[in-house]
Amino acid sequence: MTAPTSTRAVVLSDPSPGWPRRTPKVPRRKRKITSETVTPYLLVLPVLLILLVFRIYPLLLGINFSFTGDQELNGVFVGFDNYLFLLQDERFQASARNVLVVLLFVPLEVLVAGLLATFIFIKVPGHKFYRSVYFLPVVLSPIIIGAIFNIVLGANGPLNAMAESVGLPTVDYLGQTMTALPSVLTVHIWATFGMALVIFLAGFSTLDQQLLDAAKIDGANFPQTIWHVIIPGLSQTIQFVFVTTTIGMLTGLFGLLYTMTAGGPGAASYLPEFLIWKLNGEARPALASAASVFLLLIVLVIGLIQIRVLRRATKES
Amino acid sequence: MKRFVAPVAIGVGAVLALSACGGAASTPTGESAEDGTLVVWNWGNSDDAASAYQDEVLAVFAEQHPDVEVEIVSQPFDQYYTLLGSAIEAGTGPDLALFNGGTQLKSRTNQLTPVTDELADIYDQLAGWPAFEDGGEIYSAPMFLQGFPIYYNKAIFAEAGLDPENPPTTWDELADACDTIASSTDVSCFALGNKEGLGIEFFMSGFGSGIFTPEEYDAWIDGERDWESEHSKQVLQLWADTAADGWYNDGANSTAMFNDSFDLFSGGSAAMVIGLSSGIAHWKQFDDFLGDDLGFMMPVTVNDGTTLALPIEGGIGYGVLNEDKLDLGVDWIKATVDRDALANYSIAGGQIVSDTTIELDTDIQSAQDIVAELPGSKPLLHTALGGDTLDLLHRLGQQMLVGEVTVDDAASQLAASEG
Repeated sequence: MTAPTSTRAVVLSDPSPGWPRRTPKVPRRKRKITSETVTPYLLVLPVLLILLVFRIYPLLLGINFSFTGDQELNGVFVGFDNYLFLLQDERFQASARNVLVVLLFVPLEVLVAGLLATFIFIKVPGHKFYRSVYFLPVVLSPIIIGAIFNIVLGANGPLNAMAESVGLPTVDYLGQTMTALPSVLTVHIWATFGMALVIFLAGFSTLDQQLLDAAKIDGANFPQTIWHVIIPGLSQTIQFVFVTTTIGMLTGLFGLLYTMTAGGPGAASYLPEFLIWKLNGEARPALASAASVFLLLIVLVIGLIQIRVLRRATKES
Repeated sequence: MKRFVAPVAIGVGAVLALSACGGAASTPTGESAEDGTLVVWNWGNSDDAASAYQDEVLAVFAEQHPDVEVEIVSQPFDQYYTLLGSAIEAGTGPDLALFNGGTQLKSRTNQLTPVTDELADIYDQLAGWPAFEDGGEIYSAPMFLQGFPIYYNKAIFAEAGLDPENPPTTWDELADACDTIASSTDVSCFALGNKEGLGIEFFMSGFGSGIFTPEEYDAWIDGERDWESEHSKQVLQLWADTAADGWYNDGANSTAMFNDSFDLFSGGSAAMVIGLSSGIAHWKQFDDFLGDDLGFMMPVTVNDGTTLALPIEGGIGYGVLNEDKLDLGVDWIKATVDRDALANYSIAGGQIVSDTTIELDTDIQSAQDIVAELPGSKPLLHTALGGDTLDLLHRLGQQMLVGEVTVDDAASQLAASEG
């Protein structure tokens, strides 16, 4: 083998730094099938199979089912009829509108969890106690939480009794169109922000302490430290919390809705997940499948948009 | 984004390929009749009396089919139809399933096997068949009767200065009674739970015979409904007016019918309630709380030319999902309406059973009064509606209660939903 005569020749003859700018003169080395090359694939194979059998295949079956009819048209291919029907359905329209309301509450939950996690991180007095208390509702069943807040928010419940005692007007929080869904969402935030808080605390543990010390030495005040050090440092965590909170709100509100408002009054607190359950209970499973596909698309699109927007927003310019 | 194109394309391709294959099978693939099993779904037994009744039914069936093993699967009621629908679509549905008569059964008749000829020999023995009929075919036999009697609390009537033994018989008398109760007591006139929208269906079926003429009533049951007729709109108007006039407890839209509103009545927080005749919230349960203070009254006359009737029809019954086991299924249905089993349950559980030859053995006067009205009873108005329309009625009922929808708008929406 002739020794290379220049740096350029060295670079060109080295396959690694220039990949895929590999020179045609250097033949691609065939990887031998050995136990070392095969083992990694074998190790991930069970997970792939589980994903395929229990996730991908049912998903495709569900999508397929959404293109068939219900009742006398059961099993008959009906194209996009179910989707067109849904677009004209009052309950579906209400569900879609309410998704936007839900999205308005996502930053609120992230803000609450982030702020409280910050207070715990900077070790406010009693932070260990608060950490446990904040997390406690996460372990409660949504049905139990719904039952409790049914009583608390009832027209003759303790909240209204307190309001009445100080001369404030009473409100049927769960029976009025304007207040039903916001009430459920507020309870949901109370019930679930503990999980986001724990994720934030995990994120805080990865923060570079030297940066925080440097900010302190430079005379940064608390808001400046949050804005210029903590938020950029937690960008990945914030993204994760945002996306998981959104998905949690879109797919995890059924228990509370079922017990607190049953979708009402009218369709004021319908969400896609509740609509899917209602449609299935009305002997229209194919229509419910179409609504499920819509929900999947909503979650996918919102999740992707959030990741893109947040990636930019949380990077310090 | 390019990296998403390939998976999406593969997914769409797979979907289209699968779509060409059609959907899930509609017929449950139960095991063959020869294997000697019968899988039956229901929503369980509410008490010892119901368990004893089920044991009797099993014994009657076993006498005919000693080698057949009956597997009873009890599902939670709040998820029952969802689970049943999913199981049927997946091809793992039971051979027989319990159904509520009316809308729940009629919206699933395409999945059921008709048993019209098979049950012809017991037709005259039972009442309540219309709730299990659809398109001229019978799909099940009613085990019990379900209806909407109006109950009242005699003690509250007396406290308000009303005659406890002579409840209102006309709408004007009822309105006066509610005014009196509102001004003389601190309880509401009617207990109402409308969180699921059920209030308006209880109102419609409870008072319907005093609003519609007998001809209109029969036409309604037969499917000839005009939501924008004078009397149909009157039902909606009265519903809205009674809410506006303060007949109901606060926060009815956030109060569940089962069991919150019935608890209000049982606990003496409301003078009246439109309750049920079997299963739950019926005379026997109310009697446990109110005793001799429990009163029963018929619907009141709203319009001239009407004939008051107790709204009652077949409550629950088993439908055959697996055509291959039709013979076994029919024998199971016949076992559920065995005269001795029903007679024992009517005494122990307080059910008003479908067999009209059985006397209700109780000294509770309200129950005897209900039974006395059975010969002139009429089917329920709301269970004649399709699932879509009934759900729309629920939602409109809630919106009318808070004044968000006018009666005219509600009537036109309901008319449109029925085509």
